[in-house]
Amino acid sequence: MSTALDRQIRPIYDALDTQSNKSAVLACNKVLKKQPNNVLVKALKALALVRLQKVEESLLLADEVLAKKPTDDGVLTAMMHVLRGLGRHSDIVAMFETAYKQHPQNEDLGTQTFFANVRVGNWKAAQQVATKMHKQFQDDRYLYWSIFSAVLQANDMATPEALRPVLLKLALRLISSGNTPSYFNPDRFYVHLLILRELEMYDDAATLLNHEIGQKICETSLVCDEIRRDIMKLKGACKQEGEQAKVKILEKKDRNWLEFLSLLDATFWDIASTSEPASEDVKAAVTEEIAKTRKVFSEAATVDGLKDRSGLLALLELEKRTKSHGLWTDACEIRMMAENYFSQFGDKACCYEDLLPYLAFEGEELEQWTSFLNSRKSFDTPDTLQRSINVYKLLRYNLTSAELTPELELARAQEYIKVYLDGLKFGVNLPDTELQPADDFAILVGHAYVSLWKLTGEESHLQSAAATLEYASARSKQSYRIRLLLIRIYHLLGAPALALDHYRLMNVKQVQTDTLSHLILSRAAMWSLAPLGDITYMSECMEASQIYMSNSTETAEFIARAFSTERYSQIIDFIEFEDRLDNSLQRDLMKVEHVRMRVAHEPLNAELVDMELIELKFIFDRIHHDNRDFEVIPNYQPRCQPSFNEQTLPLKPPGAGWLSAYLKVYIRAFQEASDLDETVEDKLLIGDRPKPSNDPENQLPLRERLVKKRQEEIDDLSEDEKLFYEYTLALSEWVGPYHDYVRPPPSALLAEAAKSNDLKPGHPLKSMAAAANGSATNGHSKKDEEPPAVKESPELIPKFFDDMKSRFDAVISGTALPSELLHIVATTQEAYLLFALETVRFKPNSIIKQYKFGQLAQSFKDLRVKASSILNEMSTVLAKLGEEVATPDGRKAFVQASSSIQDSSGVRLYFVSVKASAHHFTV
Amino acid sequence: MFKFNNINLDIWTETYGISFYLTYLSRWPDLCCVQEAPNGHMMGYVIGKAEGHGQDWHGHVTALTVAPEYRRLSLARKMMSLLEMVSDETYKGFFVDLYVRCTNSVAISMYEGLGYSVYRRVREYYGSLGLGRASKDEEDAFDMRKPLSRDPHRRSVRANGREFVVSAHDVS
Repeated sequence: MSTALDRQIRPIYDALDTQSNKSAVLACNKVLKKQPNNVLVKALKALALVRLQKVEESLLLADEVLAKKPTDDGVLTAMMHVLRGLGRHSDIVAMFETAYKQHPQNEDLGTQTFFANVRVGNWKAAQQVATKMHKQFQDDRYLYWSIFSAVLQANDMATPEALRPVLLKLALRLISSGNTPSYFNPDRFYVHLLILRELEMYDDAATLLNHEIGQKICETSLVCDEIRRDIMKLKGACKQEGEQAKVKILEKKDRNWLEFLSLLDATFWDIASTSEPASEDVKAAVTEEIAKTRKVFSEAATVDGLKDRSGLLALLELEKRTKSHGLWTDACEIRMMAENYFSQFGDKACCYEDLLPYLAFEGEELEQWTSFLNSRKSFDTPDTLQRSINVYKLLRYNLTSAELTPELELARAQEYIKVYLDGLKFGVNLPDTELQPADDFAILVGHAYVSLWKLTGEESHLQSAAATLEYASARSKQSYRIRLLLIRIYHLLGAPALALDHYRLMNVKQVQTDTLSHLILSRAAMWSLAPLGDITYMSECMEASQIYMSNSTETAEFIARAFSTERYSQIIDFIEFEDRLDNSLQRDLMKVEHVRMRVAHEPLNAELVDMELIELKFIFDRIHHDNRDFEVIPNYQPRCQPSFNEQTLPLKPPGAGWLSAYLKVYIRAFQEASDLDETVEDKLLIGDRPKPSNDPENQLPLRERLVKKRQEEIDDLSEDEKLFYEYTLALSEWVGPYHDYVRPPPSALLAEAAKSNDLKPGHPLKSMAAAANGSATNGHSKKDEEPPAVKESPELIPKFFDDMKSRFDAVISGTALPSELLHIVATTQEAYLLFALETVRFKPNSIIKQYKFGQLAQSFKDLRVKASSILNEMSTVLAKLGEEVATPDGRKAFVQASSSIQDSSGVRLYFVSVKASAHHFTV
Repeated sequence: MFKFNNINLDIWTETYGISFYLTYLSRWPDLCCVQEAPNGHMMGYVIGKAEGHGQDWHGHVTALTVAPEYRRLSLARKMMSLLEMVSDETYKGFFVDLYVRCTNSVAISMYEGLGYSVYRRVREYYGSLGLGRASKDEEDAFDMRKPLSRDPHRRSVRANGREFVVSAHDVS
């Protein structure tokens, strides 16, 4: 580049670097005036434009640049960003491929082409590029790129079953063609082992592994060692592994739990590896093995003492497996081991979780265990406090249903409170960044009160739980576990604002939003005050969705980078990570919630309908991964009870079936309300489409699939949601034909789009060429048909509103929680909004006149009046309820419920807002 | 990353963006290690890298953390010794270093117990925890180091490191 030109271009880059996109455009225009054909400047301008959201203008420039078939590095890099911004990833690949074809000697272009294919997961093409590069540049690294691309292609869901072994065999052949053996570095060695494992060539793998270098690699590389274990297991070399593990445990003092598992597997191999009942001889041999293994574990436990808990845990596992295989063991063996473990590690926080799998005691064993624990309570030092916490948790775990009466649970709650308050003395001097040692007692109080609420149905117990936990949370500001319990309890009490406060204080961010946002955003539309104009929950959805954007822009880049650093062992994990986030269930549940809130919050116009229609259709065919983390919620409920998580879910958590049902509901409604049909949509849409799904069930036309109910969906819905689902089906069946008749023809729409585009500076859209010769006759012919005869509304529609009213009346006269009432009201409201959405097209008088829809309009009006009067009634009742709770008496009742720890909070707030909300949506 | 909530919800553990974790995993996977309990829960993890030029070539502990319920089991000690071993044998570094908040006294005394000593104090290295207390100590970091076998004369450490103050701009 000449210095003069460089001087002109530098300011453009500077502006782009500092995100001053407007001045970047100006700087580009200045250069383009003198050099209208400067491709680099055009590309940079397109980049600035796409960042300014001026998609159409950017699109035109980008196409101009691509038509020039650029090969210059600067242009290619700029274009890569432009096309990414436009969502045209396949064009990036094509661009680099074209460039590389022109300069096959250019190694850098080859690499870029390979990476472009890697980023979109186009393994077949990636493999071909890498093979070509290996031939050209004779570098083994490219050989391994091509090998691993073949492996990934074999792993790809889209690859036909029969082709997979062919690809793997090809990869194996390529490995032997390399200049250096695979153990040149651990990651290449890993690839080799992986291929042999997939091809079930375990003996060949074992030969490699038993080689001196192979052994050396496995000693230092955890990933190679992992695949080695796997292969040995598949090969059936369990006993051999066990022998090695024994040596490692005893001589090398290896405390990797996997070694202990290897030895355990080997011990029971003769019984566990066959389905035949074991002969007496076999049983005797295994019993002998058990004795030997017990000696090894005991020795490890003695050597380690307090330093490591593996030995003692392994002994417990050994006894458990002995028992489960029906081999003789002393009935008290497991209990003795557990006591032994407790004596050593009882003052560590991990004790409870460690022991849990081994404690299902009954009868006499249980009695002895209980009295053992009871003798271990003491509260003298922080260490004994932790031990007492374990004692209380372990005792609670084994409570029987007979011991879970309201009186006894109440006594327990009171005892937990007492020891909690006592225990606070050990944390008085801790800085507020530390956890209070007694926190878990407060968590136990929460558990006891929730269990009391389950036993009695009395809401006051939930209030007591909330009060105690609020107190504990103030004492231990960093305890996220206390906050987790509070979030759940506040939701049950109908106080989502308080739940959200605690959620925010947990500082959930980045990838955690995928696994934890369900805490606050499951059925968020039910909690949201969006109809009132409060967009707190909507913005929470937007924030939690950020991670998916960064996943789609960043992760693929790291897959490419792992190729360049030859870290093959990481690539499969990265791909899985990308896929799990990209197709996360929570992501799309959140999307649906956002749509539900938008519909309640915004005017129902074409902008909303068309955009959401397209976006929902995009996600309709995804195969989802459920990454939601429910395990993080503490659980210390007795084993005969459901977990705390299950007890405190306001409704069954929405799953794939729920998602599918709601996607269908909204796609159907939007399709009917929208003027976009598939042909129009296809022409107006910019960027790549989702990859077509391979599922045969998905090959049916979309329209047919949308009206098909599946059992999986029904199972996931609450009772009210089931009614709602039926209602929406009836509604769209009824109004669908009128929509189809009145909807303007595609040609008219495209012409409209072209016109509005012509008004803007710039050039007409590419798609307009197609629009111009659109099938105008098609549009007119439609008007020649008679309008569909007006039918009465199906019975189901008014009945739905009546049903919801009686549901509401029944629930309010019982001892229902606020959250249950809210669910009924929110579902009724949603039905009303969908009704509005589906009838908005028929509102104008001109339409009614033109199509003789007078009678139809009357039916709509009747239904609207009916629905809104029912909603009005509900809102009046809710408002009254809100006022009752908000009175001094109501507050006093709450304070009384929490008399153990005086702490009032703002539960009543929500009732007030519900009242306002109810008023709003009836207007 | 889908399973680390029990660890990362704790206040001393920062949750970074995707690119942070993937950078480390794509370059130094052998300096990253997770410890799992027998029930599959994550107990703790360590993330490290190798960096520096010449005599300054060293292993760096970027993050080391243990979930609250698995503390006081010497897990950190084990992960540190793994990282030291790999830094020493695979990467042939001269020393291992790490940064820690000046207020995180539990961690500092643990590192001292493992043979680390303060090399210098770095001003305003961390963001505030937002608790409105002695924010100076909170945002400053100690750079702590421990020499490896390639530095038998202990050139990489000094005795009075707490008094050497540098600003965050001077370190990378």
